[in-house]
Amino acid sequence: MTQQSDGTHVNTEKVPGRTVGFTAMTLIILAVAFWMSRESSRLEINDSGEAIATGPALEGFRSDAWYLPDDELLGFVAVAAGSFIMGSNPALDRMAYENERWSNLRRQGSVDLPTFYISQFETTISQFAVFARSSGLDISNIDLTGAGNLPIAGITWTEALAYAYWLEQQLRESIETPAELRTFLESGARVTLPNEAEWEKAARSTDGRVFVWGSQPRTGRANFNSDALSPVGALACPACSYGLSDMAGNVWELTRSPLQDYPYDPADDAENLSADPLYVMRGGSYSDPINNVRTAVRGAADPGVRSDTIGFRIVISTL
Amino acid sequence: MATQPRRKRRKSAAQGAQSSPPDQHTTGFALGNFRLPLILIAVLLLLSFTSRVQQSDVLVWSFVAATVVLAFWLGYLLLLSSRRQEIHDFTVVLRPQHYVQALVQISLYIYWGYYWRPVYEHAWLIIAQLLFAYTFDILLAWSRRRDYTLGFGPFPIILSINLFLWFRDDWFYMQFLMIAVGFMGKEYVRWQREGRNVHIFNPSAFALGLFSLVLILTGTTSLTWGQEIASTLTLAPNIYTFLFLIGLVVMYFFSITLVAGMAAITLFAFSALYNASAGVPYFLDSDIPAAVFLGLHLLITDPSTSPRTPLGKTIFGVLYGLGVFGLYTLLEILGAPTFYDKLLCVPLLNLSVIAIDRTVRSIKSASLLNVWRADWMGGRANLAHMSVWIVVFAVMTLLGRTDGKHTGDSLPFWEQACTDGLPNGCERLVQLKSTYCNDNAAWACNELGVHYRQGLIVERDVGQAQVYLSQSCELKFKAACANLLDNSLVLTDDPHELDLRLLLREGGLNLMSASLDELHVRACEHDWQFACDSNGNNL
Repeated sequence: MTQQSDGTHVNTEKVPGRTVGFTAMTLIILAVAFWMSRESSRLEINDSGEAIATGPALEGFRSDAWYLPDDELLGFVAVAAGSFIMGSNPALDRMAYENERWSNLRRQGSVDLPTFYISQFETTISQFAVFARSSGLDISNIDLTGAGNLPIAGITWTEALAYAYWLEQQLRESIETPAELRTFLESGARVTLPNEAEWEKAARSTDGRVFVWGSQPRTGRANFNSDALSPVGALACPACSYGLSDMAGNVWELTRSPLQDYPYDPADDAENLSADPLYVMRGGSYSDPINNVRTAVRGAADPGVRSDTIGFRIVISTL
Repeated sequence: MATQPRRKRRKSAAQGAQSSPPDQHTTGFALGNFRLPLILIAVLLLLSFTSRVQQSDVLVWSFVAATVVLAFWLGYLLLLSSRRQEIHDFTVVLRPQHYVQALVQISLYIYWGYYWRPVYEHAWLIIAQLLFAYTFDILLAWSRRRDYTLGFGPFPIILSINLFLWFRDDWFYMQFLMIAVGFMGKEYVRWQREGRNVHIFNPSAFALGLFSLVLILTGTTSLTWGQEIASTLTLAPNIYTFLFLIGLVVMYFFSITLVAGMAAITLFAFSALYNASAGVPYFLDSDIPAAVFLGLHLLITDPSTSPRTPLGKTIFGVLYGLGVFGLYTLLEILGAPTFYDKLLCVPLLNLSVIAIDRTVRSIKSASLLNVWRADWMGGRANLAHMSVWIVVFAVMTLLGRTDGKHTGDSLPFWEQACTDGLPNGCERLVQLKSTYCNDNAAWACNELGVHYRQGLIVERDVGQAQVYLSQSCELKFKAACANLLDNSLVLTDDPHELDLRLLLREGGLNLMSASLDELHVRACEHDWQFACDSNGNNL
C-alpha cells in the first residue's frame, strides 16, 4: 500500500480475490448444517433415554422379564376374594389416628374385594430403570444409580402409574407372562397401583391385625426407625400376610385412592374435581417410627411430589 | 436496516474524516495499527471469566475458541504485513444510520428486557458478539487489503441478529459462526448495481435466513431461543406502540417509511381480509405478530439491499408483507415453527432488488412513477408518508388490532371456532392449549390429554395423552389424575385460579397479582361462561 496526500491508503498490489473467502464461507455453512444434523440425532438419543443403565444381573430377579422376581408368577401373589376389616379400632390400637376412623358411628368397616394379585416386593430400581429406558422417560429428576434391588424412590405418583401401564403392555404382549396372570389380564384386569382397600387387605389379611406381622409391636421384621433403605425382601417376615415383604417401612407405598374421609367408597373417587388432589400412601418408610408402619395408617402425597421415602408396589386388579 | 442512502453517507464520511486528522490513522506499519484488534481479542477473552460465561463450560470454550481463531488470524496478518511492509489502517466514519439505529435497538432491549429478564442476562453475550464482530470485520477488511472503516457499523448487525435469534449456551459457538457468515456474506456475496459493486444481502438478514433454514431442515430449533424471543416481546406492555414510536425515529432520519409502512399495511390488510372471510384471525393472537412488526422495521430497510425508487420501495414492502403472510402458512403446513416467517423471505427479497428496479424503470407512466411525490406532499415526501403511516397505525390501534386484547387471545373463541368448523379453528385451539400447557397451565394440559385420548380434533395418541394428563395431574388438576387412572374417562373441569392467571394474560405477563374477582371479570370478558355465572352470583 502507498500513502496518499490526503492520508488514505491506495493498494498498489493485487487485492485477494473473493473465491477463497466465498469458499470458506460456504464450507462454514456446510459444516454448520452437518454439525446441527448431528446435534439433532444426539438430542433424539437423549430423549429416548438410551443412557440409562439397568445394571448387572440380580439374584432372585429375571433380567429377561423386566427384572421381576424369579418365581412362577413373576413375584405376584394372589389375594383371594372376600371381605376384610378396614380402619382402626382405638380400643385395640392405641396409636390409631383420627383419619383411620370409619365414621362418627363406627370405628371400622367391612369391605368386600374381588380376587386381585399384588407384587410381593416394592418396585425396584432395576425394574423402574427398564421402564425408563424403554419408554424414554425423563429421568433427570430420578436417581437410578443405587443398587438394583433397592426400592425405587423419588418418583411421582404419575410416574408410578406410568410404570404400571407400561408393565401391563409388556405382560399382555410377552410370551414370558405366566398363564395364570395372562388369563386374569384377559378377563379384564389391569396392572395399576393398589387402591387403599386392596393395599390394606394385603397388609392385614382378614384377621384385622395392627401390624403386618401381628398385633404386637416388634422389631426386625420391617425396615423402620432406621436411616437407610434396605433391599426389597431383605428382612424375613414369615408371619406377614400373604408372604409379602416390606408392607411396613422401607418406602411409603403410593395407592390410586384419593385422600377422602372414611367410610371408604371408591365410587366417589372422581367427584369434587376442583379440589387439590392428594393420593393416599400406606405402610410408612424406613425413617418413620413404629406408629406410622401400622397397617391402617393413612399418609397422603401430592401427585407431583418426589421424596426418597416414597415408592410403590403394583397390583393386577379388576377394579 | 443497516446503512443509509448514498447522499447522506457521503456527508457522514466527510464529517468523519474531519473528526479524524489524517496523521492519527496513517502512522505507517507498526504494532500500533494492530493494537485495536489485539485489545478487542483480549477483552473478549477476559469476558470469558465473567460469571455469566462461567455458567457453562461450552460457553467458556466457545469464547476461548473464538479468541484463538481471531488471534491466529491477527498473528498471520501481522506476519504478512511485516514481510510485505504493508500498512493496515482505519478510516473513522461515524454514520448516523448506524448509531441512531443502534440507539433505537438498545432502547428496545432495555424496554423488552425489563419485562423479560433473560434479555438483561444476555447482555454480556451481546457485548462479546460486538467484540467478535468488530475484530472479525477489521481482520476481514485487512485481509482484503482495505483500510477498515471504523464506526458503529457492526452494532446494528449484532443487535438486529440478537433481536431474532440467539443460541442457547451449550451451542453458543454457533452464534459466533452466524456472525462470521453475516460479515463474510457482506464481503463476498456482491453484485454490480447501478454501476457500483455492492453486497447483495443485508448482513444480519443473510445470517439469520441461512441459519434459520439450517435449523428448520435439521429440526434443531430447540438449540436456540428463537421461539421464546418471538413470543416474549409482547410481555412488554404496549409493545406495538413502542415499536411504532422508535420506528418513527428511524423513518424520520432515513426515509424508510415506504418500505416498513407498506409491509405493515399489506399485512394488516391481508389479515383483515382473511379474518373477514374465514371468521378467525390469520395469525393466532394478533393481526401482525409483534416480532414481525419488529422485523419489518429492521430487516428490510437497509438502503443498500433494497430498491432506491419510491415505487420500488413500495413494491419491496408489499412483497415482504406477502412473503411473511405466505410463509406463515407454508411453515405451518411443513410442521416447522412459524416464527421463521419474518426471516426467511428477506434474502429472497434482497435478490429481487435489481428485478424490482428494472420493473420500475420500465414503467413509462410519469403519474404512476411520481404517485408518491405528488404536489400535495409539498416536497417533503417522507414526512407525508410518515403522516399516512401514523394515521394507519392510529386507526389500527383504535380498532384494537395492535396492543391490548385480541380476539385470538380468547380460548372460548377458539373452542367455538373449532366446534363451528372454521378454518384452522381446531389446529389453533390445540396450538394455544399447547402453549399454555408448556407454561404449566394444568387445565390446558388436561384438555390436550383429553383431545389426544378422544382423537376427535387431533390424531388419537394414547401415549401423548398420558404425557399431558400426567403433567396436568402433577400440577394438581384432579380431573387429569382421574383420567389417568381410568383410560375410558375424558373428564374436564373449569380452569382453576392459577390457570386463569396464565390463560387470561393476553400475550402479556401472567396475572399473578390479580384478585380472583378481577380474574373472573376478565374471564367473563373472554367468554368463559363459568366466570360469568360466578360474577352473577357475586352480584
